[in-house]
Formats: sequence, C-alpha cells, structure tokens
Amino acid sequence: MSPTLQATSTDKAIRLEVAGAWRLSTFNELLAIKLPSASLPVVVDGSAITYLDTSGAWALLRAMHDGGLALDTANYSGFSTEHLAILDLVKQNFDASLTSTKQPHGSYLAKLGEIVTIGWRRGHGMLGFVGVLSTELVQLLRYPHRFRVKEFTNQIEVILVYTVPLAFAMMFLLGLVFSYLLGIQAKQYGANIFVVDGAALAVCRELAPVIVAILVAGRSGAAITAQLGTMKVYEEIDAINVLGLSPYAVLVIPRILALVIALPLLVFVGDVAGLLGSMLVAAQQLDITPASFISRLNQVLELKTVLIGLLKAPVFAVFIGVIACYMGFNVARDARSIGLNTTATVVESIVSVILLNAIFAILLVKLGI
Amino acid sequence: MSDDTLIAVDNIVTRFGANTIHDGVSMSVRRGEVVALIGGSGTGKSVLLKEMIGLLRPTEGQVQLFGESVWTSSAAELRSLRQRFGVLFQDGALFSSINVARNVATPLFEHTDLAQADSLQLAQLKLALAGLPPDTAMKMPNELSGGMRKRVALARALALDPELLFLDEPTSGLDPISARAFDHLIRTLADNLGLTVLLVTHDLDTLLSIIDRVIVLANGKVLGSGTVAEIKQIDDDWLQAYFAARANTGDGNGK
Repeated sequence: MSPTLQATSTDKAIRLEVAGAWRLSTFNELLAIKLPSASLPVVVDGSAITYLDTSGAWALLRAMHDGGLALDTANYSGFSTEHLAILDLVKQNFDASLTSTKQPHGSYLAKLGEIVTIGWRRGHGMLGFVGVLSTELVQLLRYPHRFRVKEFTNQIEVILVYTVPLAFAMMFLLGLVFSYLLGIQAKQYGANIFVVDGAALAVCRELAPVIVAILVAGRSGAAITAQLGTMKVYEEIDAINVLGLSPYAVLVIPRILALVIALPLLVFVGDVAGLLGSMLVAAQQLDITPASFISRLNQVLELKTVLIGLLKAPVFAVFIGVIACYMGFNVARDARSIGLNTTATVVESIVSVILLNAIFAILLVKLGI
Repeated sequence: MSDDTLIAVDNIVTRFGANTIHDGVSMSVRRGEVVALIGGSGTGKSVLLKEMIGLLRPTEGQVQLFGESVWTSSAAELRSLRQRFGVLFQDGALFSSINVARNVATPLFEHTDLAQADSLQLAQLKLALAGLPPDTAMKMPNELSGGMRKRVALARALALDPELLFLDEPTSGLDPISARAFDHLIRTLADNLGLTVLLVTHDLDTLLSIIDRVIVLANGKVLGSGTVAEIKQIDDDWLQAYFAARANTGDGNGK
C-alpha cells in the first residue's frame, strides 16, 4: 500500500493522517509529499501505518519540519508501540541528521596551493631522510658489525638474481627491434656495417642503463615501498626502534646497497643481451656474420662508452632506493596509503631516472667525455 | 519452522582439510532476540558467522535466513537476501578511500534509486542514530578512533534498515567505557527498531548487560543455549573458567 499523508486543518489544530508503508523502498515517494505550512498545534495520527522504518520516520519528520510544524510539541497518537519507538529514536536524532554533508569544494587556486605545499613537504621530508640516512651510514662505518648481511643477501637475491631473466629478455628484444629499424634505413645506403656502430653506442650508453633502471624502479622500487609500508602499518618499524635497533641500518641501508650493486650488474646483462639481439638481426637481415659483427664491435665500441653506461647505474640505484624507502617509511596507517605511495615510488623513480640521464648526457658532452 | 525464526542453522559441518571445525551445529534465532554466540578460541564462531552471511560455504548442512536457504539460492536471490541484513565486521571494514558519509551511504547508492543528496542525508541520520556527532561525516576513516570506526560501521550496517544484524566482536579493542556505551547503543537500537541481533563476542560484560540468550559452541557442537544464568549451570571446564574469570576480578579482593 503506497504511503499517504492527509492534512486536515480546523481553526484550532492540524490533523495529519499518516497511512501506508513508510520505508526505504518507498522513500522517493515519501520525499515528494509536501505539507502546507502552518503554525498550529499538530496531531499526528499513525494508526493506518502498515510499515515504518527509520528512513520512513525520517521522511515523515522532514515533511513536518519543511512545513514549519514543531516536531517536539506535536501529539503523536494512534501509533503502535513499535512504530512509536522508531519515531522517537529518529526524532531525537533528527536535528543532527540535517547537517549538510556537502564537501566544501576548494577553488583551483586553493588546489594548486595544496599541491605546491605537498610537493614542498615531500622535498623537505626527502631531504631530512637523506640527512638521517647519511649519519646512519657514518655510524655503520664506525660499527661495521651492525650491518645486516642476511638482509643484504636476501635483497640481492630478489633485486639481482630474479631480475636477470627479465632484464635479459627486455634488452634482447629492444636491441633486436632497434637494429632492425636502423638496418632498414642503413641498407638503402649500403651502410649495413654502421648498424653495429649505432646499436653498440645506443645500447651500451643509453638504452641498457635507462631501461634496466626503469625495470628495477617498477619491480624492486615498488616492492620495497609496499614491504616497508606494510611493516610501518603493522608497527614493525616502531618495534625495531624500541628494540634499540635502527630501522635505517636494518632495513634501508641493505636495500639501497643491494640496489647500488645489483643495478650495474643488471645493466651489464642488458648490454650483452642488447648486443646479442642486434647480432641476430645483423646476421639475418644485413648479412653481417657474427664474426664480423664482433670485430666491428671491437673497433667502434670504446671501453669508455660501456663504462659511462655502467657508472650511471649506481646513481640511478641510489635515487630509486632513497625514493622507495622514503615512501615506504611515510605510509599513513591505512590500506589505501600503501597503494598510493607505491604508485608514487614508481612514478617518481622513473621520472628521476630520465631526468638524471638527461643531466648526464649534457654534463658528459660539456666535459668532452 | 515458524515464521518468527529469522536464522535457522541446520546440522552444519565444516572441515578445513582434515581439521573439523563444526561437527553438526544446529541453532536458531527468533525475531526480536539479541543472541550472543560464545566459545573458546578456535571453536569456529567467526567461521559460523561467515557461513550464515554467505561468505563461506559449509561442508555440509543448511543455513536459512528469513526462511530462505543461503547456500542453495542463486546469486541474485543471495543479493536480495543480503539487503535484509547488516553486518558489522570486527575492525569496521570501512572503505579507506571514501569519507565516512559516503561509506555509510554506499549501500544506498548501490541498492536504491535514491538521489545522491538524499542518500547522504539518510547516511547522516544513520550516523546520528549510531551516536556520532554530525561533523564525523566529512572525516576519512583513518582519522577516526577505534570506537568511532565501530560506530560508523554500525551506521553502515543499518543503512538499508535491515531487520537482522550480525556483529562480529562488537566491543573488541574498545576501552571499557566505550565498550559499555556501544553495548547500550546496540540494545537501544534493537529495542527501538525491533532489530534481531546475533553477535559473536568474548566480552562477559556484553553478555551480562544486553543479551537475551547465549549460544555456546564447543567441540564442534552447540554445548548449550539459554540465558546467562542457565548457561552458568552447564558443567563444562571452559565455561566454568570463562565465568570464573569474571568472578575473580569482581571487586578486586577475590570474591
């Protein structure tokens, strides 16, 4: 039975007759019910109500409230005891329920300001983190026995050993595609052999360091943040502190050191893989035998080029490690924050790797290396 | 089965591998009752609760809510059945990415055709019913204390005006004052809204203050069911130790 509300007014009082099912499933109908405003004593007759829940009671009170009728002084008659109990409870909480739940919408300027403040705070926090990390590093040099060898070897296993196949596969395919596309151009000019020059320079100096660093940022950086973040949420990091240990010595330094050692090695794997991919294309597409590929490589690939690639890697590693650990330590105590910080680690690490690479390129040219 | 039986659990058997948790559990809850499910650690209270609300399938046996079988109904039937009961999880299980008002309004967004503003308005009412000040609505779940989280979770459980509430350890992790206030709130809501409540608890004070009937699980079976006074008469080591724990702390001098 659909809900109705009949108002009859005499000159002394208003009589409201409430009938039907006043419940959540009929709520939209209930909201459409309006009462004429009046300021007379009210009698509410609920004897014909078939079902009442809190939503229905609220809708009835709201209709009366909007009509300017006083809720507290009204005379509620004919309600069953159960309905009256519900109505009473809702009436007690009616005022509190009217508070607006609108989220204040800040202006774009305020949003911009917020973003800038967050960026400033993060830079500030990161600087502080690096500072603490440096003093901890000095402490560790004075007391080397505090170094966690087990933690370090575990991290090497995860960051280096398990990543080798992935780094190899990625760089092999990249070297292959790069040389194939280069070869199509070079063939037109009969400059097949120069593909070796181009591929060697690109793979060893730029592609392998950057691609492998991005791979590690996505794989190991994210894992570090998620792991440290979870430890933070479960108060493990507090427990480490309370036990008189330093979470930097126990958790951060082994991870960053593992990254610094693993990344150059992975870049070397990437160099080899990229050149092998290139060699395959050269043999298949450009009629350069592996023997002539290697002898050409010997002539054109300077040791310097390879070393530049390998020396960039530890710098990338430090940035990835510091960002990942900082983000892990700064997780707020809820599930969502771990996800947000992990994403931030990946994005910031990749951006910083690419920025650093650009800085390296400019510096090396300016220095004439 | 009478029309008044809201929950009927019939001969539930639950095994995890070789481990038998329930070995023929049968119980029922009538409309309007506030019933507590107690038992030692590992007796499968929470598992039984999950089987009742359709989250975990029992190895054997049937669960009926409102006279409808939970484990033989289709997905659509289960979905509509779920709208008739509310669940309060142990740590609140609030969605951490949305604010309190939206947490409470989520069931309304999903299951009704109300306008968003109306849903939020009703959410505000549910928050007030759960005893929270109006400004809680704008907060994020991580800004709340444990007691407030439970109240928000209760408000969310009440969002669709259910007839039946399941509460998993409603007072765990709360200080005694908040715990008693929460007990009181549950009783008030149960009385005023005519709710039927099944709660899993360890809290003796809850048992002694707001419960109509206690069901005790032990050794995979229902050991007994009745008022606290009746349960106390059962000759069982765990139960005696359980009630003795209360007696020892009574007034600090061992009486």
